[in-house]
Amino acid sequence: MKNLAPALFKPRLIAPLLLALALPGLASAADYTVQPAGSKLGFTSSFQGQAFDGSFGKWTAAISYDAAKLASSKFDVEVDLSSAKTGDNDRDSALPGADFFNVAKFPKAHFVTTGFRQNGAQVVADGNLTLRGVTKPVSLNVSFKPQGTGATLDVTGSVKRLDFGVGGGEYADTSVIGAEVKVNAHLVLSAK
Amino acid sequence: MSLRSNDRQWGSVAKFFHWTTALLILGNGVFGLAMDLASSPMQKINWLALHKSIGLTVLALFLLRLLWRMGDRRPAEDPAPRWQQLAAHAVHGLLYLFIVALPLSGWWFNSVAGKPLQFFKLFNLPAIAAANPDMRHLAHGIHEKLFWILVAVLVLHVGGALKHHLFDRDNTLRRMLPFSRVRADATSQGDRT
Repeated sequence: MKNLAPALFKPRLIAPLLLALALPGLASAADYTVQPAGSKLGFTSSFQGQAFDGSFGKWTAAISYDAAKLASSKFDVEVDLSSAKTGDNDRDSALPGADFFNVAKFPKAHFVTTGFRQNGAQVVADGNLTLRGVTKPVSLNVSFKPQGTGATLDVTGSVKRLDFGVGGGEYADTSVIGAEVKVNAHLVLSAK
Repeated sequence: MSLRSNDRQWGSVAKFFHWTTALLILGNGVFGLAMDLASSPMQKINWLALHKSIGLTVLALFLLRLLWRMGDRRPAEDPAPRWQQLAAHAVHGLLYLFIVALPLSGWWFNSVAGKPLQFFKLFNLPAIAAANPDMRHLAHGIHEKLFWILVAVLVLHVGGALKHHLFDRDNTLRRMLPFSRVRADATSQGDRT
């Protein structure tokens, strides 16, 4: 018995012990499933001085999140670009075209977080957005509210469309089509 | 030439409203009919935006013109048979009606189509009707037909002016022409009825 305590602190035993203690903290941000009903991935831009709202009908999101374990939290979102609707037939028929999303060549957009940080009271998700073959860093403000076993997740961010060549060429005129596209999403999550 | 009209001729402000409106409405009408000549969707977007802005300018000029006219004098009418004077007034009334109806019908067309309405990229104006894609075709047709009706009324207006100028050789046209002097001897011939 009296030899047991020193034995526990032998290096070859300490390492696995520490790992066992640390693993839950690193890897156990909770995984969630998106409930399509009530969830929305939307965007807002402007045309000829008037704001318009749009949304994507088809997208998937893998959400791992724990406010206390930001280092192991992760968002991975894939968006079917052909599912964009903005309430205007002319615009909706132009969006999938080669000048805008070019869905024939780039059917999906992909956002994956590279890390989370605390900015005052605000949690910010830094990540990479791949859209139309271009990958650029994009940061999103995160508001996560646990509810029962699930949660609601609201994110907002802003993307400059020309960074990704969306509406290039003649359509690059930002006095007609706004330069900035605000992204907003409301996700209803249930625990996996 | 004074800003205000007098008994013998129209002032420069009345002339400005008359000829600017004439040029803008005819030019914008032809421009509107030529929209499909745009070489790309974006060019058409920009052409339409310009067309709408010019149309709104016509509407604004008309309102200013009415205000000005309320406080301005009018030259005495050149002698003509009573029925011709009545016809001239009726044609003026119709022209005024169509000068308003044409931009308003465009505004309505734009509203039912659910498009933004921006004045030369400076500010936006609200829709005057709810968006309704089913009405879009009808509204377009009405807007375009109003222009042709206006052109028909304009033919009567111009025809009357030329008749006075070429056959009666009076001041009816001259007193509205820019930089033109009225004939001194053509003012008091009395009523020719």
